[in-house]
Parts: sequence; structure tokens; C-alpha cells
Amino acid sequence: MLATISSATLVGVDGRPVSVEVHVADGLPGFTIVGLPDASCREARDRVRAALVSSGRTWPVKRITVNLAPGSMPKIGAGLDLPIAIGVLMASGQIPATSDLGAFGELGLDGSVRAVPGALPLADAIPADRVLVPAIDAHVVGLVIGARACPVRALTDVVASLADHCPWPDPPPSPVAPAMPEGPDMADVRGQPAARLALEYAAAGGHHLLLVGPPGAGKTMLARRLPGLLPALDPDQAMEVTRVHSAAGLSLPHGLVWQPPFRAPHHSASMAALVGGGSGSARPGEVSAASNGVLFLDELGEFAPSVLDALRQPLEEGVVRVARAGGTTEQPARVLLVAAMNPCPCGVGGEIGCRCPPHTRARYARRVSGPLLDRIDLMVHVDRPQAGDLLGGAAEPSSAVAERVAMVRSLARERGVRCNAELHGERLEQAAPLEPDARDVLEQALLNGQLSGRGLRRTLCVARTIRDLDDGGPSLRPADVLRAIGFRARVPLGGSDG
Amino acid sequence: MGPRRLRNLLSDRTPIGAVEWVGAGGLPDGVPAPLGAAWRARLHCFDPDAARTQLRESGTKVTWSALPTHPTFLTDDVVPAPVLFRRGRPIDEAAPAVAIVGTRRPSGTGREIARELGLGLAEAGVTVVSGLALGIDGAAHEGALLADAAPPVAFVGGGTDVVYPKRHLGLWDRMVDAGTVAGEAPPAAPPAPWRFPARNRLIAAAADIVVVVESRAAGGSLLTVDEAIRRDRQVMAVPGSLRNPAAAGTNSLLADGCAPVLAVDDVLTALGLSQVERETRRDRVEVPPAPSAAAARVLSACDDGPASIDRLSARSGLAVGEVLAAVSELLVAGAVVDDGARVRRA
Repeated sequence: MLATISSATLVGVDGRPVSVEVHVADGLPGFTIVGLPDASCREARDRVRAALVSSGRTWPVKRITVNLAPGSMPKIGAGLDLPIAIGVLMASGQIPATSDLGAFGELGLDGSVRAVPGALPLADAIPADRVLVPAIDAHVVGLVIGARACPVRALTDVVASLADHCPWPDPPPSPVAPAMPEGPDMADVRGQPAARLALEYAAAGGHHLLLVGPPGAGKTMLARRLPGLLPALDPDQAMEVTRVHSAAGLSLPHGLVWQPPFRAPHHSASMAALVGGGSGSARPGEVSAASNGVLFLDELGEFAPSVLDALRQPLEEGVVRVARAGGTTEQPARVLLVAAMNPCPCGVGGEIGCRCPPHTRARYARRVSGPLLDRIDLMVHVDRPQAGDLLGGAAEPSSAVAERVAMVRSLARERGVRCNAELHGERLEQAAPLEPDARDVLEQALLNGQLSGRGLRRTLCVARTIRDLDDGGPSLRPADVLRAIGFRARVPLGGSDG
Repeated sequence: MGPRRLRNLLSDRTPIGAVEWVGAGGLPDGVPAPLGAAWRARLHCFDPDAARTQLRESGTKVTWSALPTHPTFLTDDVVPAPVLFRRGRPIDEAAPAVAIVGTRRPSGTGREIARELGLGLAEAGVTVVSGLALGIDGAAHEGALLADAAPPVAFVGGGTDVVYPKRHLGLWDRMVDAGTVAGEAPPAAPPAPWRFPARNRLIAAAADIVVVVESRAAGGSLLTVDEAIRRDRQVMAVPGSLRNPAAAGTNSLLADGCAPVLAVDDVLTALGLSQVERETRRDRVEVPPAPSAAAARVLSACDDGPASIDRLSARSGLAVGEVLAAVSELLVAGAVVDDGARVRRA
């Protein structure tokens, strides 16, 4: 007898529908799974068998064949355990055959149904009228498929409902969306006026930021305060972030993610960990998990140069295209990049007291390639605060800065972009007309070699943000342009040659 | 073969003649027979035609002590250099020459001073001599080339076609184009460590005055100073901060009584070239008036020493944004320089 259950498998951040066909026939007893299952998927045989027996059902002593269609797409993970088990029960006549049933979930040996990564995109991809989902994931899945989701805690729930017509168990109470948690506040930052200004510009316009300074100057402390300046996500962004986090297997205790994510991968991160991918699969990387939020790379100079250069395309386009043998996936990567590094390995940066020989400094500076630096709009040197600053009174709190940031972001939305850093071409020309004096300033900077072509566009975007924060006037004044140039990475790190 | 034996060999022969004479069994006085046999064994592997082609292809000229074109300061030296390989122009012996030497790891200020000295001396028609090493040497050559006046001279440790350090590839080529790169090692000779002290003596021999810009307490440039003292050349030193380890060597030279260099004119005066009065010289050359009021305030804030944007803001009483705009303005005007961390007057 044949039973067919709809399910899905994860490719990148998207679910792809999979049809699970279970055939139970006379013949030599056996259990085979075909249709490109990966290792964890093939192990379903043992889990399904034990779960079925533990739930008080009998394992058919027959020839069981499971086909996962389409056969050309690799199936990843243990999410197909539940549909296979239901298929075996139906095909062996232990529960009545039901058409248009979908399911995903991992089975425990005791018959319990466990959560799997990517519940949200998986549920979205299953076309069935009724989708059985792990109860733990129900509140997330409900966000996209609503009442079609039937939460199940164990295989016995499925049998009770389908064979004995008991009602489906109630979904667990959806978690109360918490108020915005209190993050670290800008009021704790003493002194550092230039870095404070750079953080405000970065948050307001979505401009990438690099903090350079000796150890103990407060680079990491400053960067951690950036998410607190960003406005909450809008519903579309929240859904996108939630999907990616679900696919990446991150916990989603509060359902939708409303806060801009803040991801800080360690500098030992591999290319697959940062931009996504992996052997055979296309798991979202940190740059996707940080989409619509902040990607913080501490100790930028310690990252492998090849890993950093892999960030260039996502930073420019806002998406990562990961190609693997199994296919190509597109994953969101609209991040605000914040990086921090020491000027040289000893941290002093070529000044008096620096212990690094010149070639060590040069090698350290070369680890961050020119093309990557060219994509960084704001570069600020952070000094150790002076005694007077440390003992001074409290500074402006995050909430006051966040108000100005929200105002600038709303101006950007009126121009049709999410933030000023995304202004391009004609839209940029309309949004940022130059006053004649400002044009002269830019011309001089281009002639002096202080700006590249890409640098010019990015400088105009930053200048637009500066004017927006100041008085929101229509055109760019020379002072706005000069400030923007002042924040660009002007010189190679580690000092000049030699 | 050391320089003395080489000089004996070349005193009345051409290099090819010397090769043939030694190959035929000839030996100068005082050379032990086993050493002569070792020389002849090496000569078997020597191909004069290949050597000639190599010289021509690398654009290298050779002079030896018997030739009138060989620099006299090398033949008359206490440790004479009988052979000199050179790329670029012949060395102008008539022009006054000043060596600028120092540490390979200078402070930013030291590098700038070396550059300014190189520029100022070359503009005054002085041949700037140095070693094309990283740090002070390279900065001095950069400055001298910038002047586009008196051609500078570099004495290097390896072959004149072996760029070392690699980072000086561009500078090396410009030195060959607009000046001289010379050394005792034949083309393609690797820059072996033992060649550098010998190279230092060429720098000391070629210069009328040796200026040390920054040297560490036991730096290699102090070896050049020793060679200069041996040859009775005047040594001058640029004073540095007590807290700057790169200036420890130069400061102790000053403590030992060596003449200080406070400006290019001090060196020119020592050479007997400058008539400028000390009083008038100290006046700072005024930068053209800054275009805006904020820029002028930031510029005067820079007078208290290099400072970060934060410090400049505190010193001038202007907001950070205004300081940034002013600094960009001054950078475009060339009134200040910025190393990424600190801003200082140009």
C-alpha cells in the first residue's frame, strides 16, 4: 500500500517542498530510503522504527520503501522523521489514509517530536491543508501559516487524532512579546566625542564603520552600543530576520524578532560561517543572520584575509549568493558593518613605544584589503580616554540619539530607500544636490586622490546623513562634504611606507 | 677576497687581465699558495662572456682603481674599494655630499625630518648619500628625489640589481633613473649580512658630513658613525624626545659632543654653503591663511603638537564635526598631514 505525505527540506534560508512516498509491500522484510538523503536523514530508519514501537504501534514485517521526491534534490536533516513515520503507519493500515497532510519534525526514540532548524521556512513551503509541526515551533510557524499548523508533542498525538478522532492538542500559549530590553547605554561612554559622532552617523545612515585604536580604548564597548541606537524593525524586516534565524537554527524564544540583530562572530570564523554555505548545504552565515542589523567584527586584523574579502560582494549588493553542487541560494545580507582593530599587533600604532618592526606593521595593515576599506565610510581613531573624561558626568543617553536616528531614517524612507547608504544614481542626485562651493571641495579632493569613484558616491551618502542630522536642508553644503571626507579612511593603516 | 688583495691584483691590470694572469699561475706577493689554488678552482666556473652580458643587461657599469673614472674617495680611503658597480649616473665628486643615515624603524616625526633634510639638501645642490634601507634611509632618498635637483647616491649591500628590501622597488627604480645606486657586490649578489658593515664604510667615505636622524641605543647607523670618525668626517645628529627609543642613539651622540642639526641650514652652514643668520632662520614659514575661521583655530591648536580629532576638539573648543570639516579643509590645502590617528602641521 502507498501513502504520500507532504514535507519540505531546507535550502539556504528557503524551504523546498518534498513529497514523502512510503510503500509497504510483501517480500523480504527491510527498510530502505531513496532520494538523496544525507547522513542524518538516512538515520531516520532507526529513529522511526524505535519511535513507532515506543508509541505502542507495530512495525510491519514487510518490505518498506521510502522515496523522497524530487529525487534530484539533496534532503538535509532529521525533519523528515515525522512524515516517514506517519507514512509507514498509513501504508500499513494502522491509521486511516488522509490526503493533503503535511508534516515535519524530528522523532525521539520514545516517540516525542522535536524541533528542527528552519521551522518557519519549512512550514511556508508545505502546500498541504493541515501541517503537523513540532509543538515547540508552533508559535513561530503560526506566524506564517496560521491555523493550518497543528502542533504535535509526540507520535501518539498524531495517532490519537487521526485514528481515534480526538481533537488536535491546543497550541502552547504564544509568548508575550517582551518590551525592548535595556541594552548598554551611550550614557556610559566617557569622552570619545569623535567616536560618538561616528556611531550616530553610522546608525542614522547605515554607513559602515571602522574603529581603530589601542587596546583598552573602548572600541568594543562603543560598538556594543550601536544596536541600541537603531529603530525597531518594521513587520517585513522582522519576518525576514525571523526566517533567517529560524533557518540558521537560532533560538526564537519570543516568536518574531523585532529588534535589529547584533552578531559578533569570533575572528576564527571560516568563510562558510561568515557568508554561509557548508559542505553540500547552504546554511545561512553570520552576515545573513545579521541582516537588517549589525555585523560586528572585533579584531578585524585577525580575521583570515580571504574570509574578509568574501564580504565585499554582500556589502555592496545586500545579498549573498551561495552556490553549491545542490544549487544556488540567495540569502539576505543587508548589514551595517562595524569593525574594530588595533593599529598594529602591539596596539600602539607606530608611535613612540611601538614594539612592532615595520614589516610586522605592514603585514598587519595588509590583512585588511584596500577594496574592503574602500567600502567603509566612517573610520575613526579611538584614543584611550583621558582622566578628566573618565571622571566627568554622564553623557547623552542612547534614547536621545536614537530619536535623531529615527528621524533621519524616516527621511530616507521618503526618498524610497531604507537608509541613506543605499542611495544610488539618479536617486542620490535628486536627494543630495551639491551647492557650488561643495562641488569645488569634492573636485579638489578627487584631484588630490583623497577619493575614489566609489568613495565619491559613499561620501555623498554620508554628507546627506550629516545634513539630515543637522537641519534636514535640501542641498549639501561644503561643511557637510568636508565632514564626510574627514571620516573616510584616508590613509593606509599602520602608517606610511617603511 | 678582501679589498686589499683585490687592489693589489688590479693595481696594474684590467679585471680580465687579472683573471687571465691568476689562471695562468700568477699570484700577488704575500698570497699563500693554497689560497691561490682555491682562487684558480673558482675561476674554472667563471665565464667572462656571461659576466659581461649580465653587466650589460642589468645596465651596470664597473669602475676599478686603475681607471681615472673610479671615484678618488674610494681609492684614497683607509679601506679602499678597488671595484665599484653602479647603475644610474656617475657620481659627481665635485659636489658637496652629505650622508643621511638612521634607524630602519623611525618614528613618524623622524621619517618626516629625514625627508625634509633630503629635500632641503638636494635643493641646495648637495649630493644626498644613504643606503636605501627601510626607514630613515628611504625617507632621505625620497626627499632628495622630490627636489629634482642634485642627484642622490645610494650605496647598497647586495648587487645593484637586487632590490632589497623588496618594498623599495619603486624607490630603487627612481634612484637608478634620477641618481646612482652603487655597491661593491657584482650583479645578482644576494644582500648577505656581512656586506652591510662594508657598505656603511662607503657611505662614510663618500660623504663630507654624516647626519644621523634617529638611531636606537645600539643601532646599525652608529657603525656608520664609527666609520665616519675613522675617516675624520664631521658627524651631526638630530635631537629627539627622551621618551622616543628610536632617538636614544642620536641623543647620546649629542651628549658626547656631536653637533646638533636643528634645521637644514645647520648642515649647509657646516658645509660652508649657507650665509643665513641663525636668528632669522628660526622664523616659521607661515602657511597661507586658512580659508575659514574654524580652520585657523584648528591650525593653531595643531601647534601644541600632533593630536587626535578628540584632542583638537578639546584644544580649540570647537565641536567634533566642525574640527573634522576644518581638518579636511586643511588637508586639501596641504597645511596639515594626518597619519590616520593624529593630525600635525605639515
